[in-house]
Amino acid sequence: MDRKTVLVAMSGGVDSSLAAALLVEQGHRVIGATMKTFCYSEVSGPSRTCCGLEGIMDARRVCDRLGIPHYVFDMEESFTRDVIDDFVREYAAGRTPNPCVRCNSNTKIPDLLRKGRMLGADAIATGHYARTVRDGAGEVRLLRGRDERKDQSYFLWGVPKEVLEHLWFPVGELTKGEVRERARALGLATADKPESQEICFVPTGDYGDFLAQRLGPEHPALMPGRLVTSAGEVVGEHRGYARYTVGQRRGLGGGFQRPLYVLGVRPATNEVVVGTAEELKRADLTLGDVNWLGVPPAVGDRVEVQIRYRAPAVPAVIESIAPDAVAVRLDDPQRAITPGQSGVIYRGDIVLGGGRIR
Amino acid sequence: MEAWTASGRRGISRRANRGGEMEPIYLDHAATTALRPEVREAMLSVWGEGLGNPSSVHRLGRTSRSRLEEARERIASILGAKRTEIVFTGGGTEADNLAILGRWRAVGGAGEFGSVACSAIEHKAVLGAVRQAGREGASVVILGVDDRGEVDPSSVAEVLSTRPAVVSVMWGNNEVGTIQPVAEIAALCRAAGVAFHTDAVQAFGRTKVRVDEIECDLLSLSAHKIGGPTGIGALYVRTGVELDPLTFGGGQERGYRPGTENVAAAVGFAVAAELAERERTSEAERLTGLRRRLETGLLDRVPGLIINGQGAPRLPHVLSVSVPGVDPESLVLMLDLEGLAVSSGSACQSGAVEPSHVLVAMGRTGEEGTVRLSLGRTTTEQEIADAIERFVAVVDRARAHASA
Repeated sequence: MDRKTVLVAMSGGVDSSLAAALLVEQGHRVIGATMKTFCYSEVSGPSRTCCGLEGIMDARRVCDRLGIPHYVFDMEESFTRDVIDDFVREYAAGRTPNPCVRCNSNTKIPDLLRKGRMLGADAIATGHYARTVRDGAGEVRLLRGRDERKDQSYFLWGVPKEVLEHLWFPVGELTKGEVRERARALGLATADKPESQEICFVPTGDYGDFLAQRLGPEHPALMPGRLVTSAGEVVGEHRGYARYTVGQRRGLGGGFQRPLYVLGVRPATNEVVVGTAEELKRADLTLGDVNWLGVPPAVGDRVEVQIRYRAPAVPAVIESIAPDAVAVRLDDPQRAITPGQSGVIYRGDIVLGGGRIR
Repeated sequence: MEAWTASGRRGISRRANRGGEMEPIYLDHAATTALRPEVREAMLSVWGEGLGNPSSVHRLGRTSRSRLEEARERIASILGAKRTEIVFTGGGTEADNLAILGRWRAVGGAGEFGSVACSAIEHKAVLGAVRQAGREGASVVILGVDDRGEVDPSSVAEVLSTRPAVVSVMWGNNEVGTIQPVAEIAALCRAAGVAFHTDAVQAFGRTKVRVDEIECDLLSLSAHKIGGPTGIGALYVRTGVELDPLTFGGGQERGYRPGTENVAAAVGFAVAAELAERERTSEAERLTGLRRRLETGLLDRVPGLIINGQGAPRLPHVLSVSVPGVDPESLVLMLDLEGLAVSSGSACQSGAVEPSHVLVAMGRTGEEGTVRLSLGRTTTEQEIADAIERFVAVVDRARAHASA
């Protein structure tokens, strides 16, 4: 066995805990690391708990159990710049960002590799449900995790190809159930820890409040405006276009003859456009800020596109490719294709690449 | 899966991660230092003979009371204080808080005193307490330091007109080691009728600390820095100084710190203090020599290395160095992996490395990697020699990385 030095990103959750444990079992020299993304004490709220301190302490306990070092890296600056500022900008522009993608792809994983190299690591690892393989040509490809329901490859489309070369996913071949079972068997403290669901820097889930803090409560994105149909008919008022996302039904007021959904927002005129479920469907979409994890597909190629984390990938055709963008046409129109969200292009289990929906 | 069950209680696979790792060298004695065997013995004998509550009427209580008061007497005598002037606390941080907040709450606000002053390089315990006093109405004054980390006594003279309830300047700084002109500052305060507090946590046992030689009113100590147990410290409170307690209850420690006294720890503290005082002069000389070796070795082999506080009088056991051209966050980690245990500027609760407020106050940008190496009773010449090698190896690697 080729013994490597591996730096493992540990959130304190069961997946990354087991990932570290598996690498130790395999005989590698493992170093645990937790990325401190920001200081909770700066987020509004009475609690003085800091920076996911609990997660850091949990990771530390696991590392102590495994007999490996554990360090905390301060990523606040790059996290604020790459993730939080982007989050705020996107909402202000009327889009719905996906900060977890941005964090993983732009911040956490590349930073982890940079730190890892400095500490003498040959590779880095995370607890994501994803897999990598070498193809016939020796190129590294990113694959979905074996557990279909837990697959997290959707969040990783933005990882630069050079980084992927050195990124391992120890739990990618396991199901969530298997992970918990094995963690329990090893006596890892975090085996039964519940998963966190919310955005880490908006622990209350009230992102409207968060935006008000960052943009100022008088920002145009948070000011009331007109609710209009695609035909231009004014049907009500909205409470600030940043509070609405494509496909949303709640919060529109009521008393409409038929259910209305948000079709989109127009920041320029401060309008939120609503329409029927039928109108929500689209077959064409363009992705910007595209990252290819290998040779890009060609125009006319058949692929599958996933437009949401929990949605299945649907068949599509590549319509055009530009340096930083790709346009696809879906075989069947899908509901609520949301600007700002990630569109990930698959061929079977292989992630070809992805981008931000325009 | 046999590897998992093999190792028993501690590590699942410590063997897998050992092999090739060197015996770590501990150069973080200023953070804490090993419990001295004599201290352990003394504490075990206190527990062994049966610990009573010193406030009890019966014989077991009286025995415990004697042990406690004897410990107090021994510490007072080393300081040149009266027994009645020593208040046992739960550590240095608590002593600092009692001194600052206790003073503010006793005399601040309504009457003559409107501010609280301290230097920019104080321990977070002092800065935190000062900040809290600020929230309780005090006008907060922070005294700057020069690039060697020294407070200028004339800057103290300037703030006295704001009528501070207390002026706090540490005897010796824990991060850089700079010894402050406390005698001069104390005299200035005394002349102005202002209470002077000094955090002597790091200085006690390293340099001569006596309250009958400088005119201080309040002084903080901590046991674990000198090989005593954690969880106990002391605040010297000069007779006549007005001070409010921070907690309330049964009146122990003359009301300054109620709660059943930690007799065993107090005894351990006294033993550690006596040993430290007995060895102080010879240890200071020995450690100064070792530190000089370390400094010279590093200066010779690490181009661009900066000794923080150089030129100022420093505590013999602390050495703060800054290394340009390396990632500050990685330096301490890499040293740990290399088997050299040192301290970074300031660790926040999370364990992440943050730039030190002390170095910032001294004019550093925080772009260099800064570490504090601190020596102790168990530090040997061989350790110093090995430490230099490991440090140099790490810096070379870190710099190669940065320029790659």
